[in-house]
Order: sequence, then C-alpha cells, then structure tokens
Amino acid sequence: MLIMNNVSRIYRNDTIKTHALRDFSLDVNAGEFVAVTGPSGSGKSTFLNVAGLLDTFDQGEYTLDGVSVHGLKDDELSRLRNEKIGFIFQSYNLIPDYSVFDNVDMPLRYRDFNAAQRKRRVEQSLEKVGLASRANYLPSQLSGGQQQRVAIARALAGEPKILLADEPTGNLDSLMARQVMELLHKLNQEGTTIIMVTHDPDQAREVNRNIQIIDGQISDFKIYAPLQSSESNLADAVKDKEGVDA
Amino acid sequence: MLSYNLKLALQNFKRAPSLYFLVLLTLSIGVGLLCANLALVSSMTGDPIPEKSDQLFHVSMNTWPNDQPPAEPFHILRYREAMKIAESDIPINSAVFYASGVYARDAQSDSLKRFDSSVRATTNGFFALTKAPFAYGNGFAKNSGMEVVIGDQLNQKIFSGENSVGKTLELDGELFTITGVLKPWSLRPLFYHATEGRAFNLTDDIYVPIETAIDLGWSIHARSSSTVSYKGVEFTRDRDVFYLQAWVELEDSTKQQAFQNYLDNYSQTLKDAGEHPLDINNQLRDVNAWLLEQNIVDQKVLAFTLASLLFLCVCVFNASSLLLSRFHSAKFEVGLRRAIGASNKNILNQGLTESVLLGFAAGVVSLLLSWLFLKLSVTFLPDLANIAVLDPKLLLLGMLLALVTSVSSALYSLYRANRYTISAELK
Amino acid sequence: MNIKALFKSLLLRKFTTGLLILQLAITLGLLVNSTILAFDTQGKISQATGLDNDNILIISTHPTSGNYRDLDYYRSIATQDMAKLRQLPGVKSVSVTAQLPIRSQGMHSNTYDLDNPEQENTDKYLQNVKYILAEENLADAMGFTILEGRFLNNNDQLDFGSEEKHNIVITAALKRALYGDESAIGQETNNGFIVGVINDIILDPTLPADKQYGLFINTVMEYIFAARYYVLNVEPQQMANVRSQVSETILAVQAERDIFSVFTMQEHLNRFYRDDKGLADLFLLLCGLMLLITAISSYAYSQFHVTKQQKFIGIRRALGARKKDILLYVLTENWLVYSLGCVLGGIIALGFNVMLSQYISLSKPDLVLFLLATGVIFISGTVATWIPATRTSNIPPVIATKTV
Repeated sequence: MLIMNNVSRIYRNDTIKTHALRDFSLDVNAGEFVAVTGPSGSGKSTFLNVAGLLDTFDQGEYTLDGVSVHGLKDDELSRLRNEKIGFIFQSYNLIPDYSVFDNVDMPLRYRDFNAAQRKRRVEQSLEKVGLASRANYLPSQLSGGQQQRVAIARALAGEPKILLADEPTGNLDSLMARQVMELLHKLNQEGTTIIMVTHDPDQAREVNRNIQIIDGQISDFKIYAPLQSSESNLADAVKDKEGVDA
Repeated sequence: MLSYNLKLALQNFKRAPSLYFLVLLTLSIGVGLLCANLALVSSMTGDPIPEKSDQLFHVSMNTWPNDQPPAEPFHILRYREAMKIAESDIPINSAVFYASGVYARDAQSDSLKRFDSSVRATTNGFFALTKAPFAYGNGFAKNSGMEVVIGDQLNQKIFSGENSVGKTLELDGELFTITGVLKPWSLRPLFYHATEGRAFNLTDDIYVPIETAIDLGWSIHARSSSTVSYKGVEFTRDRDVFYLQAWVELEDSTKQQAFQNYLDNYSQTLKDAGEHPLDINNQLRDVNAWLLEQNIVDQKVLAFTLASLLFLCVCVFNASSLLLSRFHSAKFEVGLRRAIGASNKNILNQGLTESVLLGFAAGVVSLLLSWLFLKLSVTFLPDLANIAVLDPKLLLLGMLLALVTSVSSALYSLYRANRYTISAELK
Repeated sequence: MNIKALFKSLLLRKFTTGLLILQLAITLGLLVNSTILAFDTQGKISQATGLDNDNILIISTHPTSGNYRDLDYYRSIATQDMAKLRQLPGVKSVSVTAQLPIRSQGMHSNTYDLDNPEQENTDKYLQNVKYILAEENLADAMGFTILEGRFLNNNDQLDFGSEEKHNIVITAALKRALYGDESAIGQETNNGFIVGVINDIILDPTLPADKQYGLFINTVMEYIFAARYYVLNVEPQQMANVRSQVSETILAVQAERDIFSVFTMQEHLNRFYRDDKGLADLFLLLCGLMLLITAISSYAYSQFHVTKQQKFIGIRRALGARKKDILLYVLTENWLVYSLGCVLGGIIALGFNVMLSQYISLSKPDLVLFLLATGVIFISGTVATWIPATRTSNIPPVIATKTV
C-alpha cells in the first residue's frame, strides 16, 4: 500500500542542513494499523507530511497504492491526496463557521461528484462515526471528542485507502480519547489502513505494528519498548514479543 | 466548481466585511476617478463624425494683404475667398459661415420674452456637410432669404418641442420663417467651429442664410481681423475683413488634389495681380488633423488624469496590503483545503473567483462614482459642462479596469498562497 | 532605539512595507504639488492689477429688441442708464465701455509711432495692443491714475463718421515701449494723437507684466452697439447696496435688456482664474482622499503587530519592556517607514512636478514645502496608527508563555 525506499528529506537554510528524514524505508500493507512513536524532533511530523504528500522529499522513492509519487505535478499530487489519503489532525482543524455537514463535505468538493452523490457520502461517513444526527450542528456546539469524530468523518468521506492521524487524541481527555481510539480500531477492522503518530504508549501497544523514528531514521519494534528499560523488563519484553508474534 | 467558489467567496466576504468593504471602496474610488477623467479626455479627443471625418476639410489660406499676417496660413477668410470656395463644384458639399448671436422670439406670441441664441450664418451646404439631423422640415434652399433652421433646444424653449416648421421667429426686429428643426444634436468636439475656445460649445440654436446675416449686419461673435476699418458686417463683402470659415467635403484623393489646385490657382491669380504679398500657402486639413492642430484638449484635464492615475496606483497598493492581511488570517483554511486534496490550481481558482466577484462589485460602484465625479467636476471646471458625459465604451472600460485592479491587488496574496508549505499551519 | 533592529523587522515584511513606502511617497508627491498649485493660484488671484478691485462694479448687458438697431435710440437709452446709475447713493462715477481689463481676448490693433513704423516688427506685442472704446468718465470709474497729460474729454469725441484722427490715452507700458523715457504727449501714432498716459493695469494676464499695452479712444458712443459694460465706481461701504439696485435701475429705463451679470472687478479677476482655482481645488480634494487611503494602509500595517506579532511583543514585555516602550517601538517603526517614504516622496514630488509642468504652469517645489508636507504625513500617519499602537502596547506579557 505504502512503500518508502531510502527517502531523505533535508531542510536547508542559510547555514544549516537538517536531515529530517534520513534513508527512511518503510513498507505498510493494506489493512495494517501502524503506530509511529519517537522523541520530539525525531522526524515523525516530517514523515507524516511526506507520507501525506504535503511535503516533497529529496532522495529516494515513494509509492502509494501502486503509484510512484516521484515527479508528479501538483495537480496529480493533490488528486492523490484527495482520493487516497485521509488526514486527521491533533487540533481537529474544523472550519468554525461551517456546519458538521459542510465540514465533512469539503474534500468531496474537489472531486467530480454531484450534489446527490456528495450528500450520500457525507451521510454515510457521519453514520460510521455515529454523528449522523448532528449534521447541522456547528463545531462549537460539539465536545472535543465529537469534533474529532467529525474530522474523522471528513477524512473518511472520500473513501481513502489510508488514514494518516497526527496525535488524534492529543487534545482530548481520557474518556473521549477512548471513544476515538475505539472508532479507529473499528475502522481498521473494516479494512482501512491507518498510520497514527502518538505519544501514548498504551495506544501504541494496542495496534498490531509499531515504528519508532529517531533522528530521522526508522526503528522497527513489534512491541513498544520504553526507552529506559531495566534488565527484568527486557526479559518481559522479549517474552511479550514472542507472544504477539502469533 | 464555479458555484462552489462563488459560495466560498461570499462566505469570505461575510467573515471580514469591513475589510472587504474597504477594499471595495478604495478600488472603486480609484477606478471611478480615473474613469471620469478618461471620459473627459475621450470626449475631447474623440472623432465627432467618424463616418466622414477623413472627407471633410477645413480651408486655411494665406491671402492677408500685407506682410504682417496674424498667422500663416490664416484660418479665417475674406468674403471673396469664401465665395470662391463656395462656388466651386469640386467638393460634393461645402459650408462657409461665421458665428453670431441674436435674441429670438416667437413672432406670434404675446410675450416679449426673448431668448439669447447662438447663430450660425452659413451657406446651405452646411447641413449636408455636417449631416445635421433634421427632426422636421429641411435646410433653406438659397444662401439668402428670410428663412432659418433652428436647433432642438431652442425649439423646446420657444415652441415646447412641437413641429414649428412654417412658424415665424422675430430676430432682432426682422421676421424669419422656420424651414427646419433639428433633432438633439451633439458634436463632441464641435469640429466645425473648434477655434476661439469654442470646441466644446453646443451646436448652434439658429442657422441663417449667410447673405441675409451680412445684409442685416449681424455682428461677428468669433475671431475677426482686418487691415481696414468698417462700420458693420454689411460692409465687409468687398473689404479685407477676415472672419469667415470654410469647410469642404472631398470624397477621395483625386478630388482633394483637384481642389487644392483650384485654391492654388486662385491664389496665383491674386499674386499675378499683385494682391498676394505672402507665399501661397493653402491648407486643407481633415477633421481629426484640424482638431489636433487646434490643441483643444484641456491641459488641466490631462494634468488631473495623470494625478488620478497615480491615485489609482495608491488605491491598488492599499487594496493589496489589505488583502494580504486577509490572506494571513485565511492561511489556516487554505492549508486545510490543500491538505484534504485541493490542488494549487483549485486554490488559485478560488482566489481568482473571489477577486473577480469583488472586481465586479467594485466596477458597479465605480461607475456610479464616475458619474458622480463628472457632475462634480463641472462645478470645479465649468467649461467642461458639455463634455462631461459617460458614453458606453467608458462604462466597459471602467468595469474592465475594476476587474484588472481587483485581480492585481490579489496577485501577491495568491502567489503567497501558492508557495507556502501546507503543514506549517496545521498542528 | 535600535535602528538596525527596526530595519530588520521591516525587512520581515518586505512586501507590505514596500507598498506602504510607495504609497507614502506618492502621497507626498501629490501633496507637495497640490500645495504648489494652491499657492500659485492664490498668488494669481491676489496679484496687483493697478485697478481698485473692490470698489469697481461692472454690469454686463445686451439689448434684446431690434429697436436698438437704431443707434440714436440705443445712445439715448445708454445715456439715461448712466444718468440713473449715477444717481444711486454711493455711486461716485459711471462709464460705459466695450471691453474689460483682465481678459485675453477682445479688440486689438497694431500701434506704432508714425515716425517709427518699424517698431511693431521689433516688439511683436505692439501688433496686438488692446483697443478700448471709452468715454470721458472711464478713468474715474476705473480709478486710473493719470501719470502724464490728461484722460479723454468730451471734445475728444468727434462727430460720428468723422475721418479725422482721434486723441488717445495710452498705458504706461505702451508709452515705455513706444517712447522709452521721453514724453509721449503730443506724439502721433497710427491710431491717433497721445494726450495722456495712465498707470499700468493688467489688461491681459497671460502676457508679461511689462507688455500690458493698451490705448483708450473716445468712440464708445459712436459704436454704441459694442458697449456691453457699464462701469461704476462705488464708495467702499456701499457696494452691497448699490449692487442690489443696478438691475432694476437699468430695466426701469427700458426693459428689453438682458442683464448677464453684475460683478466687482475682484470677482472678474477671480473669474479669470476660475479654472486654475478649480484645478487646484480638485488636486487638494485628491490629496485628501489619498491621505485617507494611505492612513488606512498605515493602520492595517500596524495592526500586524496586534495580530501576528503577539508572541514577540509578549516576550518583550516579559523581559521588562513597559507599555510605553512598546508604544514607542510601534510608533518608531512607523516613523522609520514614513521617513523612507518621504525621502522617496521627495524624488517623486520632483518628477511629478516636471510631468505636470508639461501640461500646466506651476512653480518648482522648495525645501520648506517638502518639510511641511512631510510633517503632514507624519502627523496623519501617527494619528492613523495610534489605535493599533495602543492595542499592541496592551498585549499582556503572559502571552509569551502560551503554547497553544
């Protein structure tokens, strides 16, 4: 589904060259739920931006759903982004003076759907996140968790192949965070590929694949291991690893 | 997509109404002012009779009888030369005239109220030459006789606009019969009398046969120069009094050449008789060449047009910086749309739609302001009263200018929206 | 004040700063030139004309009836008019003439001394000397000062139709042109014998001051059909009074007249420069609009601090800056931009002046004017940015620590 090969993203200003991503390689298959962790400044955001076609890369190859991204023009990249990717941000990023319906409708406007088709898709998306009855509400009338679910509905409206979530529960309290995660798991079970950046080790543990990014490079752990580990914990960690392999 | 973009544009306007209002205001004031000035300039430089402006020629000759002429050649003629021109059959039409003025009164009316009227004492070819539009009747048949043609304005004043052909006017104690009434007739500029600062006058109120006017001694209300004294106009036929202007209609270059020869031959006969001390210098200038030479464009208007051009620049700069500050506020939404799949082109189209919509609105307001400003300009520069009109092509120009300025103001913002990285605002 | 740092912060917003500087420059350019136009026009209107501007009343009139073709009839009416006008309280003298001073068109004649006919070739202005039909009272009515000899009298009005040479009175400028320092009295010109010289008056404002050539000849009654203007000399306090009565007085003598207008010599002078004044006023109007628009831009420019720079302002406050310091900071930044704009504006003012000079006549700009205009811009700009500057200074320091 998503294949990155030796991707490098280098930021240059007048004096300093920063390797935000360095020889980054990743293979994500359809249906996987990947949690991306790592310390601050490690390149997680850059990875998500490159993966989401929001940013270009300097070296390497990136193939999304069979389409090689290299050399594509802005029009084509935008279309890819629109049709294949759904974004979920930490701060929901809903338009405050649009209704729930109009917010979810937004990505559909950039495709060739007529009004009836758009309406159907929006309603379906809202169904999936359980907010069909709130279609005419404004974001300010919803709780944080509900707003994030609207954002998820917006990400789903175009039936994307892959969802990219950047700390989706970062601004929510634990109850709402729970609800959002349950929703994401449900979607994943229904077949949606999800890549999620998170700081929460519990969330990371719940998904079937973990990646750690440190200094722009990838470390692939099947089990999330805390950075400071004592020997006993390490033994437990190894045991757990064997257990989850199945 | 267009309807969606329009919807988004309107939403944007609602979100920052005072800002967009300011942009609308500055653009429309700037465009309106410039448009009004351009309307004035266009009136002053326009071709008043495009269908035959290259076939109508003003005649200037150099027959001043001593070696200190007021000008070489001189734009006004003596009776002798003027009649020589009028009797030639080379031009298809010719007009010889002078400007005068008289007080007019309906001879049948009980009221003694008299109307100050501008007079054109002319040969009868004038009407065909200038394509004077008749509402009723027609021109007078001969160059003498007690008949007149009157203009629409005078007809409105004296006869309330009815068909007054056959009625009698009392002019300066004499009775004249009306043979024709003209339709409302505006020539901008008044090409047939563009000298002595009259280029923006209205067309005349009364057209009278020239010989009649001379016989009655109706005074000359425009330039006249002479080397001898004379007691009245009735004595000018055989004296060196220069006051008549002549226009001829020559259909093609052969006719033009033929007429030029005709004039030059005549001047030569004068020279041979020792009556033409200056060089032979007969000039035929067509309508536009003549108007150009008279330099009728009011330089003050040109100066102000220049200033209003600078003013428009300031308005565009202002609109530009206002729109840029709006762009900063809208960055978040642009970033979001890009993230969910809007291409740069989509965003550009959205921005352009907004600018064009704003431009249309500004265009409408600016045309209103143009009209207002033209009215206002007449209080500052009263000489412009007759040319302060907005004709249709200026309306189009105004709308176009408004669109262009609106889009230019938004250009930098659109450019910035295109260039910046999406992820920056979306954390 | 750290000027370098201020410059740097301007460079952060190159585009908007550049736009504002351009706007300021153009505004200054227009302001300077508009002021020049206004002063120039004011100067023209208040120039000395050699005439008693405020105390001369002129009535411009024309008969409407054909009866006036009978010149004796016309003359009798005119004589009665003047008698009746003379009787109005406050009127010191009345005359009639065919053309007025302070006008470029009119009746002209070439004039030269008979012993020196080549004069009009060396001095072209002698080919167009104002030929003013007058009668004996004109000098009193206009308030002329007789420098040499006398003005015209009754005997100078010859029998109508006479071919004899008339006596004439000339202006001082014409006398200097014809005779230099010698006396002109008794000299014979092509137009008549000179019996008097009057002070210089402005006959045609478009000609140089020393070329105001004019001659007066007592033939206005002979050519009465040309006599369009009654000239009254009125006592200083009585102008309004007299003015309100002249139309009735004339129409009471004979009603078939059109009274075009009644005006003082000063109003006549103003009227000559009506278009100049109109243009100057238009320019000032434009200036006002431009200042307004530039003020709007200035306001928006300073708003940037309130909306975009909150964090940095907060940091400054957290580090110890007082509200006053922030206020001064914003204002100084603006003043820096104004200074740049005004320097550029000086160049634009000069350029604009040159361009305008191709269409109209106006004086060159000087330093004082430039400084004045700069002052206006600084003041209006500061007023415009006062509110955003105050808002900026009110940004609380706590913002420095906000992360959301």
